[in-house]
Amino acid sequence: MNCEHCKERLATVTVTQVVNGQKSEKHYCEVCAQSFHPFNLDFHKEEQIPIHQLVSNLFGLPVWNSGAQEKAPSTPKKSDQCPTCGFTFRKFLNEGKLGCPQCYETFGKQLPLVLSKIQAGTTHSGKAPGKPNHHNEWIKKQIDSTREQLQLAIHEERFEDAAELRDEIRELERKLERGGVDAP
Amino acid sequence: MNLEHFLKGEAPGWMDVKGLDADIVLSTRIRLARNLDGYRFPLSFTENEAHQIDVMIKEALQSIQNDEHRFSHFTVKEMPALQRQVLVEKHLISPLLAKKEKSASVHLSNDETISIMVNEEDHLRIQCLAPGLQLAETYADASKLDSKLEEHLPYAFNESFGYLTSCPTNVGTGLRASVMMHLPALTMSKQIKVVTQMLARLGMVVRGIYGEGSENLGNIYQISNQITLGKSEEEILKDLQEVALQIIKNERGAREALLKNSRIILEDRFNRSLGNLKYARIMTSEEAAACLSNVRLGVDMGIIKEVHLNVLNECMILIQQGFVQQYAGTTLQAGERDMYRAKLLREKLNLNNQMIKEKGEERYDV
Ligand SMILES: [Zn+2]
Ligand SMILES: [Zn+2]
Repeated sequence: MNCEHCKERLATVTVTQVVNGQKSEKHYCEVCAQSFHPFNLDFHKEEQIPIHQLVSNLFGLPVWNSGAQEKAPSTPKKSDQCPTCGFTFRKFLNEGKLGCPQCYETFGKQLPLVLSKIQAGTTHSGKAPGKPNHHNEWIKKQIDSTREQLQLAIHEERFEDAAELRDEIRELERKLERGGVDAP
Repeated sequence: MNLEHFLKGEAPGWMDVKGLDADIVLSTRIRLARNLDGYRFPLSFTENEAHQIDVMIKEALQSIQNDEHRFSHFTVKEMPALQRQVLVEKHLISPLLAKKEKSASVHLSNDETISIMVNEEDHLRIQCLAPGLQLAETYADASKLDSKLEEHLPYAFNESFGYLTSCPTNVGTGLRASVMMHLPALTMSKQIKVVTQMLARLGMVVRGIYGEGSENLGNIYQISNQITLGKSEEEILKDLQEVALQIIKNERGAREALLKNSRIILEDRFNRSLGNLKYARIMTSEEAAACLSNVRLGVDMGIIKEVHLNVLNECMILIQQGFVQQYAGTTLQAGERDMYRAKLLREKLNLNNQMIKEKGEERYDV
């Protein structure tokens, strides 16, 4: 079989991917596989369901692709444009990416529809600049659960594991003592 | 530090054999995506903006520099292609960054556990790597650095959407946490498909790093969170941690069952693989990865005693084509690479055996 990416060299590498619960296997040559990297989302861009399609499927909107774009009946109104980067919501749907931080305000009304489909929610609930976060609590919880694992390891006479777990707890306690990991 | 320091074939700090469940979890990675307010994302910014961002981040890192945070700075376009590839293979930069021309750069800590990519998909990507399963600790390291940088950089942040990123799949926490796991027994017993399906339902992604046929190459899987918005960092890490522990438990169970039912077959397989690594003259990366996986499992199960996990970690990195070519000192055709790869493995596995025997005592007596 030839590489699915360059369609030239022999495919020797299989990449398994799960997108929206669908498992798929892609076969690449060594050269193309090299450019695949766990955090390089770009590589699978063509294979992934593009965000614009996802939204279209969801709302029954037509799918635009770069070729058909000129034929799209309505031209975006000027008010739809991001003042900083000039992106329109349609351009975002085509690219799958936003142009600048300001876009999040410009498209603040439409974005939650997309986000609710790909995220657990549409509102941030984590760390924020200038605010202390609950990291120490998390480390404390971590120590508790590691202690449980330690008890289990001792009970099951897995002493090597127990020794590692003990070291792990010490390391976590040191982290906690050094404290204010997140203090500014 | 000069670039040569980071191109060495030694296993980097985050691949040390320590940390919890280090036999199954090879490494933990935390990545935080951040952007600067008032600048367009790398997708659409100008050369001038890119340069300004590069300078701002460099200055911010200089002003927070101390013994804990000391970085060497490299500009991507000044690096030869092969060197970029070696850094990608060491997971110090992403393939995307390696291709960037516009003022893209990377700041690396000397022990290679921290890498800060500038002008990749986002203005700033803080990456911390650690051996074994250490999600809380590694996140603490990344978050600490992030908080320090935040005092010197105008982060793009929005009350409702959190940290703003170029791609909406990263917005919110900007956090991608991943664990790299060696799961040979789950793979051999065909349970890995069930695991993969379960994870997809939990909003996690499983990627085989590389694979041959339906099996993943070297039986190594990378498991990471997909959700970045609507969950706090702690929740994301806790969920991933729980999933990782569950998988470890299943893998251990599968290993016990294998050992009980087919010990002699395993002994044969592991020792054959070790023989191939030590004596073969032609090695594709697939075969090398499969052999290394077998030998690793053999060491974990106590069947192979003469090889140290450190050596196997190092080999896992070295068999990649960039490293093989660096070792040869020139670019190579696929066939030539397979010959050099075999030579490299022979050297590593025969040489390191002796070294371990010599300094074995001091090594284990810690
Ligand atoms: Zn190809
Ligand atoms: Zn914009």
